[in-house]
Amino acid sequence: MVLPQEALILLTSILAWFGLYLIVNLSLNLEFGYTGIPNFGKLLVVAAGAYVAGYLPGRIMFNLANVDPSLDYIADNAVIVTQINNFLNQNPHISLSLLFLTLIVAAGIGAGLGFIASYPAIRLREEYLAMTLLAMAEVIRVIGYNYKPLIGGTLGVQVPDTLAFVPGELRFTIMSLVILAIAGFIFLYVERLVRSPLGRVLRAVRDSEAAAETLGKDIVRIRTKILVVSSAIGAVGGAMHALYTSGVISLTYDRVSWTFWPWVMVLMGGMANNVGVMLGTLIFVALRQLITFYKGVLEPILPFNVIWLDYILLGSTLIIILMYRPEGVLPEKATRTLDFRKLWARLNGRRSP
Amino acid sequence: MVLVFPPIIREAIIFSSLLTLLSIGLTLGYMTTRVPNFAHGSFATIGVYVSLVAVRLVNVSPYLFLPVAFLVSGFVALLLYKAILKPLMRRGASTILLMVATIAFDMLLIASLNIFADYLSRAHRITSRYFSLKAADIRIEGIPLVFYVAPIVAAALILTFYILLTKTKFGIAMRATIENPALAGVVGINIDLVYTVSWILAGGLAGIAGLLMSLWFVGNPDLGTLILVSIFSASIVGGLLNIYGAILGGFLVGFAEVIGTSRLASLLGVWIIPYRPVIPLLIMVIALLTIPGGLSSIRWSSIAKLWRR
Repeated sequence: MVLPQEALILLTSILAWFGLYLIVNLSLNLEFGYTGIPNFGKLLVVAAGAYVAGYLPGRIMFNLANVDPSLDYIADNAVIVTQINNFLNQNPHISLSLLFLTLIVAAGIGAGLGFIASYPAIRLREEYLAMTLLAMAEVIRVIGYNYKPLIGGTLGVQVPDTLAFVPGELRFTIMSLVILAIAGFIFLYVERLVRSPLGRVLRAVRDSEAAAETLGKDIVRIRTKILVVSSAIGAVGGAMHALYTSGVISLTYDRVSWTFWPWVMVLMGGMANNVGVMLGTLIFVALRQLITFYKGVLEPILPFNVIWLDYILLGSTLIIILMYRPEGVLPEKATRTLDFRKLWARLNGRRSP
Repeated sequence: MVLVFPPIIREAIIFSSLLTLLSIGLTLGYMTTRVPNFAHGSFATIGVYVSLVAVRLVNVSPYLFLPVAFLVSGFVALLLYKAILKPLMRRGASTILLMVATIAFDMLLIASLNIFADYLSRAHRITSRYFSLKAADIRIEGIPLVFYVAPIVAAALILTFYILLTKTKFGIAMRATIENPALAGVVGINIDLVYTVSWILAGGLAGIAGLLMSLWFVGNPDLGTLILVSIFSASIVGGLLNIYGAILGGFLVGFAEVIGTSRLASLLGVWIIPYRPVIPLLIMVIALLTIPGGLSSIRWSSIAKLWRR
């Protein structure tokens, strides 16, 4: 049987990527699906989160792990991270604290960037906003490429393995489960948020800004709040990605992977429907992982590089969705916030005494 | 007489002229369909590859292929409008979804350009990535011809546009359609024809800009996506709804990028050069916060009146 080993690797990598993209897509859904902010700069916070993961844990552990202080973190990165991993190997508690500290800092930086991004977002019309956010994301990419001390530019840095104490063969499985757990937690949080009174206000802002304003809702505050929250979530996604792959290379963070693909997944699943987004994420993550996994098989058949198949898949599915099912596989449903049966009974009771 | 310009000014003139051509196209597309075209940069990349084919495969001067670049990019733009944007607009798609559609189209274009580049290098053994065609340009007393052609082509096209929009019946119909499509339709103007022509022009101009760009910049399939932010910035500074504004914006952003980067590099050091894309973003943000309607929205006559007081 060839199945077990290979299938397991494929399955864990699909699960991990599903979790990672689910985190990013939920935050995009919160912005675009529920609030109507066309965030074409999702890359901004995802990359920021990843940069935090590339920068922070290594620097913190540098002193704790008694690394030779004459070494340069970027130039001697491989040596340093190996030493740190050996240290983390012995200290599960420190490892886990490091993991959560990184996520918290990433969320904080993401929230800050979301606050900055909300400055144009509360003032501009959709198309201007889309262009501005895209340009902002482009700037963080340029910084990652060129500012070597941050994450080593185009060469990248290794990220200390916060699960170094887990036996080697289990490491990826456990990491996938950690990612899934975080994604699940964020899913529940976003679901609760959109079912709360605030969630109803979000849809009101999206559907008719003027009407919401007339009813006394402070649109500026609501949009700022949502961008801060969703950007924090997006940055956690980016940081998790870096911790999962135990490395940050600025080339990985481009607008196709972290802005346009999330858009496809959200639109495919159904905007303003978190279960739909989950479905869309699963479909495309599985498809893309299968393409990567069977690259060796596909390469001789295709007359071109397999990477472009990814682009073609992205472009053609988007067009097909927009043309034939713009509401997605699972369209938005009326949210049941109050207990409908109770409400119904009460209404009936009042009418027929 | 040959005017002598310092190289940095030369660079700024070429870049600004090309940026102007590109932002006129983006503005034209936006004025008609009200969607910023995220694939506009890749329309220019098509021109770059037309130039590569002309020089390396056909072995002629790239300038002879200007009409080809216009036609190919114009056709691709027509395809985007007719096959994707128009059906979506008929179904009442929102601006956001139309923008997403142009992104989807851009992905397909980038993939096609890359596949074409792979084909060129495999089948014809041509360097199709990070190539320079500077050597294919004609030199007049050591100065490449593109330095003259880029601004002249830009100026000629601007003049043509001016005549088209103010002196011809079609141009007036075009302006009417842009102002008020519903009313123009009632008067009997063929709106679809106006939109079609606008999109062909928008794509064609980008193709011409791309071909000229190949004579100055290093060609690569992602060249267009890299300058997309500059195009957006130039168009927004111009106001997105005015072709003459796009010209101003193109020159403002072009000069600011080239001269600003070189000034900063001599002040702070060469490390700043890669951060050049920050300049168009800053200009864009400043423009949006101070004059959200762009340069074309400023009432110069009222400012002049204030001045006189």
